[in-house]
Amino acid sequence: MQSDRPMIELGSVRVDYLVQRHGIRSIKAYLTSFGSKRLLERKRILHDVDLEIRAGECFGIIGRNGSGKSTLLRLLAGIVEPTSGTCRVHGHVAPMLALGVGLEPELSGWENVRLCRMLMGHDRGDMDRVNAYVRSFAGLSDADLEMQTKRYSTGMMARLGFAIATATDPDILLIDEVLAVGDVAFQQQCYRRIAELKEGGCTIVFVTHFLSEIQRICDRAACMEDGTVVKIGSTHEVGLHYHGLLGITS
Amino acid sequence: MVRAVAWRNVRLRYKSSFLGFLWTLLNPLLFLLIFLLIFSEAFPQVENYPVFALSGLIFWSFFATTSAHVMGALVENAAVLRSLAVPPLVFPLAQLLAGLFNLLMSFIPFAVILHLFGRIPHSTDLLVLPIVLCFGTFILGVSLALSALNVYFRDIGLLWNALLPAFFYITPIAYPADLVPERMRWIAEVNPLYHYIAAFREVLYYGRVPSPDQWVVIAGLAVLASTIGWVLYRALRPGFIANY
Repeated sequence: MQSDRPMIELGSVRVDYLVQRHGIRSIKAYLTSFGSKRLLERKRILHDVDLEIRAGECFGIIGRNGSGKSTLLRLLAGIVEPTSGTCRVHGHVAPMLALGVGLEPELSGWENVRLCRMLMGHDRGDMDRVNAYVRSFAGLSDADLEMQTKRYSTGMMARLGFAIATATDPDILLIDEVLAVGDVAFQQQCYRRIAELKEGGCTIVFVTHFLSEIQRICDRAACMEDGTVVKIGSTHEVGLHYHGLLGITS
Repeated sequence: MVRAVAWRNVRLRYKSSFLGFLWTLLNPLLFLLIFLLIFSEAFPQVENYPVFALSGLIFWSFFATTSAHVMGALVENAAVLRSLAVPPLVFPLAQLLAGLFNLLMSFIPFAVILHLFGRIPHSTDLLVLPIVLCFGTFILGVSLALSALNVYFRDIGLLWNALLPAFFYITPIAYPADLVPERMRWIAEVNPLYHYIAAFREVLYYGRVPSPDQWVVIAGLAVLASTIGWVLYRALRPGFIANY
């Protein structure tokens, strides 16, 4: 279901984070200077990122810790804005940057479904279909879903989180390393759902440390290092490059 | 979205608690009890001291709890704000909305209690609502600034906790304002809370319509506080993501 229509276009994107230079010690300095400039320091997280991801593609991003992968996903999810450069994302994005985020342990499964969908920017419509999907994907009974989620097992929470994020077919699905938490059965179930969404034309951006996962599901990939994309190409080429960075010879 | 999150906050505050909503009443009533035991003889010039004290305490308690909740709103929802594209402002707004809802609900039992102390309901009582609106805007402004600063300095919460009791005693809640010596009166009057408490008391205790001057002051303070809060929030927001 791939086409040449670009879904994600990044042009020389730079993202700076404002981080605290001195921490709490300078609360006095802040109050006397009354400006945020002296207090915060610009730290370049991403620079010169050029990337085009086409409709229906499953695109992998690999790189070491701190290479800017998560920030790149946050940029695509609209959580951070580029400091300079252009970032165009076409269509509805389902971000899965952490599994089960926003789930409130004191509330029931149903209440959490409603709340999390709302936080993800969906309206109330279609709730019946969403509920049916969540019930079947997460393998939870009505009794489970009436229960407070604090009584759920880790696996149940992970299933619920994944189900909520993928309930309505998004145009773009962002996945950040979230599948590592579950057991093998859960992972396989997630891969099946990802494949199904891809069949339906969904564009997928997949971030991971594991080359084998990228090679398993991705069509193309990019390797990141020090806040920029250093290699784009087939999963094989990118894999070789990544191993080169790590100093692994194969 | 703000409404949904506010409703979550209301639910969470009382979920798995035995007394639930009654906790909102407990704090002011406990203070009232202490005041009655200690102060009721101390201010013989105040007629019907319980109504006098309670008409201030209800709103003090609203201020103290709501400002603390709004202040923590950004930091407590850091996980969501780091991984979903939700405007951060949703969470402070939702805490304010939950606080307002709580206050309005508590008016019912408080009306009964005030009545038991011999207070007669009056049609001007409805003027409490516009004052609540101004007060709510004022609290939002102050605590939005605090919630943004709290992202950078986690001791803002501790600082606020230390300051609140001081404000409580500076504000004429337990005692009438005219008891403050003339030359110290300015201290009471630069305190914004004084003006809100005075307006509430004007309606609930004296049964009078607040003067135009009072309206100008409480509306002006609300605009001023919310402007400052908004400007500070806007200035500090670019750094939120790296410092939650």
